[in-house]
Amino acid sequence: MRTETSSNNSLHSSDENSAADSHVDQSEPEDLPLEPLRTPPHLVTLAASKPEEILAEYGKNLKLLECNPQVSELLTIIRDKNTTRSDFKFYADRLIRLVIEESLNQLPYTPCSVETPTGATYEGLKYRSGNCGVSIIRSGEAMEQGLRDCCRSIRIGKILVESDVNTHEARVVYARFPDDISRRQVLLMYPIMSTGNTVLQAVNVLREHGVAESCIILSNLFCTPAAARTVVNAFPKMKILTSELHPVAPNHFGQKYFDGI
Amino acid sequence: MSVTQTKQIKFHNPASSASSDSSSITFLCSKSNHNTAITANKNINNNNSSYADVGKSSASIDLLTTTTSPPPPPTTTTTSAPINSHIDDRSDAIEQLYIDPFAEAGSTGELVCCPASPTTVPAKNALESPMRRSGRRPRTTSIGNQTTTANPSECIIRANNRTIYTAGRPPWYNCAGQQVEPFVIGICGGSASGKTTVAEKIIESLDVPWVTLLSMDCFYKILNEKQHEQALYNEYNFDHPDAFDIDLLLDVLTKLKEGRKVEVPVYNFVTHGRESQTKTMYGANVIIFEGILTFHSPEVLKLLDMKIFVDTDSDIRLARRLKRDISQRGRDLKGVLKQYLNMVKPSYANYIAPTMVHADIIVPRGGENKVAIHLIVQHVHTQLQLRGFKLRETLANSYKDQPMPDSLHLLHPTPQIKGLHTFIRCKNTSRDEFIFYSKRLIRLVIEYALSLFPFKETTIETPQGVLYSGRRMASRKICGVSILRAGETMEQAVCDVCKDIRIGKILIQTNLKTGEPELYYLRLPKDIKDYKVILMDATVATGAAAMMAVRVLLDHDVPEENIILASLLMAEIGVHSIAYAFPRVKIVTSALDPEINSKFYVIPGIGNFGDRYFGTEPSDDY
Repeated sequence: MRTETSSNNSLHSSDENSAADSHVDQSEPEDLPLEPLRTPPHLVTLAASKPEEILAEYGKNLKLLECNPQVSELLTIIRDKNTTRSDFKFYADRLIRLVIEESLNQLPYTPCSVETPTGATYEGLKYRSGNCGVSIIRSGEAMEQGLRDCCRSIRIGKILVESDVNTHEARVVYARFPDDISRRQVLLMYPIMSTGNTVLQAVNVLREHGVAESCIILSNLFCTPAAARTVVNAFPKMKILTSELHPVAPNHFGQKYFDGI
Repeated sequence: MSVTQTKQIKFHNPASSASSDSSSITFLCSKSNHNTAITANKNINNNNSSYADVGKSSASIDLLTTTTSPPPPPTTTTTSAPINSHIDDRSDAIEQLYIDPFAEAGSTGELVCCPASPTTVPAKNALESPMRRSGRRPRTTSIGNQTTTANPSECIIRANNRTIYTAGRPPWYNCAGQQVEPFVIGICGGSASGKTTVAEKIIESLDVPWVTLLSMDCFYKILNEKQHEQALYNEYNFDHPDAFDIDLLLDVLTKLKEGRKVEVPVYNFVTHGRESQTKTMYGANVIIFEGILTFHSPEVLKLLDMKIFVDTDSDIRLARRLKRDISQRGRDLKGVLKQYLNMVKPSYANYIAPTMVHADIIVPRGGENKVAIHLIVQHVHTQLQLRGFKLRETLANSYKDQPMPDSLHLLHPTPQIKGLHTFIRCKNTSRDEFIFYSKRLIRLVIEYALSLFPFKETTIETPQGVLYSGRRMASRKICGVSILRAGETMEQAVCDVCKDIRIGKILIQTNLKTGEPELYYLRLPKDIKDYKVILMDATVATGAAAMMAVRVLLDHDVPEENIILASLLMAEIGVHSIAYAFPRVKIVTSALDPEINSKFYVIPGIGNFGDRYFGTEPSDDY
């Protein structure tokens, strides 16, 4: 688990390094003294960037969950500070499920026809076997159940990314993957991206284990434009799926999901 | 009352067990002797136990009794077709209903439907419909021949080698989904004149699937203490018009005629009050209303489409009454005679006999008069034909190549959805996988369906200290209704996405004999009219069952636009039929298949979804 302590202060800062990844769960972003908001509240709008705009700005590998009113509602409930913990978890799980389902859409498949019980032929498709999930501890683990609900026996690896208290540098301190991860499609799960540093480190570890950049699908719930830019620039071939691009990330996600604060 | 009981048994389906104890005939007559307390008491009990009329639905709908729907907005009940409130603003469509340029060419007098929406062309050739009917199976999820469930075809009761009733309720609307006005027969006649026998004979010979028999005895007024005492001494005049609650009667009859659900009071002849429970009745193809003063109120008279007076000689009536009251109800000669002379006879002379002038047909000798009954039945048949009741579901191929209606919301065909479909459509998929993958698919369908409900903009505070403008659902009042059996599989997903959601159930099965869907069981949340409803069925082939379910919801005053029909797989024909009948019902499905085969399975389809999910496949059903 990491909380991006300074993310609020560096909302529009291009200096990504100033935002440190901290593995200290206790730090509560909402308690930090906030700078005066650069965006007046009434101007903070739905992050309803059109898919075409995103395509133009971040390339074709960044995909947004289709933002229907139902998804909007889930986002709204998750962001609402008055949401109770049980509601929060309930609606977060729903959103996770949708994001996972959509992430699975990015997996490669081959056409395949099957015979239906009526004797007719259905032109369907078949997914290749050899996928696996990797969650970034700890908030990424919130998404594991969603993946399990879709793929019952999928292998799931884990990465722990910690940020140095002094240098604010994110580094990987633990990683455990299936042995043959280099031959698999990897679904990397991490719900909140404020700066993208954690994900950068995680992807680096995956690449060290021989996973091709194009074989990684990042499942994400909330992403800031800055983080999106960072990650897309660093790994243009990696597929990214998120449900919302918004300058303010709900950094309380992991705490509220696991600690119920 | 014991009379009623025997009637019940007579018509009650012998084959139906506890699971399907649904007689389509709703008897609601409490023909009991008004003054015999002990027998009456027993009879009331019988009464209660024997009213399993609409399956168990009556019990379930008792939940709804307190929310009897408000009287419909000023619709013209007597002159024009029965238009429910929710159909009001579609009156243009109704006007258009029977104007069909193609019909004149091929029609043989059978009702031919015309589309309400400009996108569809009907051209239903009535000549070809009998072929299409044979072996019609309107939905893929109906039970197979060898399933353990009671076979609906066994539930048909026969008389004179003809089908009379079936266990479930057959369609009470035409293929445009519109309510068809029931034919109301009023039967009047003196006490013990044989009204009930005539009613029975008519029902027997009518060969109409759904008949409601309403007795005027249900509408006796509640007696006060003094009247109660009079009744004990045979001095209360039960034969006087004032003894009846005409206003209530009028209300019930009007609603029945509009095809709506009504709560009919149950009169208790011991307390001379009404039971706390009421009996639920529905409008039917034919409603028979019988009683001694049926023709007394001019308002009631207006509601009757056919008025029959049973004229039996007063000697015979007295003889019958003596026999019945003394031998069957244990009363003494003196009391019976006293009542007869003081009340029954004068009332007959003053109030009943004069109403004979209103009758269309006077039947002498009551039920023995076969010729009269034959004539009546013929007339009713002609009338029903005119109203389009004989119309079977002719949901046809005429929609071919038409653009899909706007109310259809197809899930975006992503690779995942296609992949899931590949799993569940493959005939070799094991049940474990079938259930798992269909559940995943169902979840997506339900999530998508939810997004079609109205949302409102809202601004919330975030822990980050910024305001966030998002959306919330306009109303949290959402209710799921599943069409049993296959629709039940979708309930879990609805519960998973909506906390504490209410679930209603509707059991509709296909009558393999007629090929029509029939309503067996109904259990809906009490105030369902205030809810947005997700109607769930796994597959929709012709759409017959889904249409019936929508019709049920409309009859419970759910506005059409509040209904979303969610399904895994639909055939194009089904979508067209539903969209044509109910243009404001939103239709959600994850896949659309082009065809239906002769067994009414969708092609390529899933097979029988319910059987595969629950593991009840007959060995060679396909």
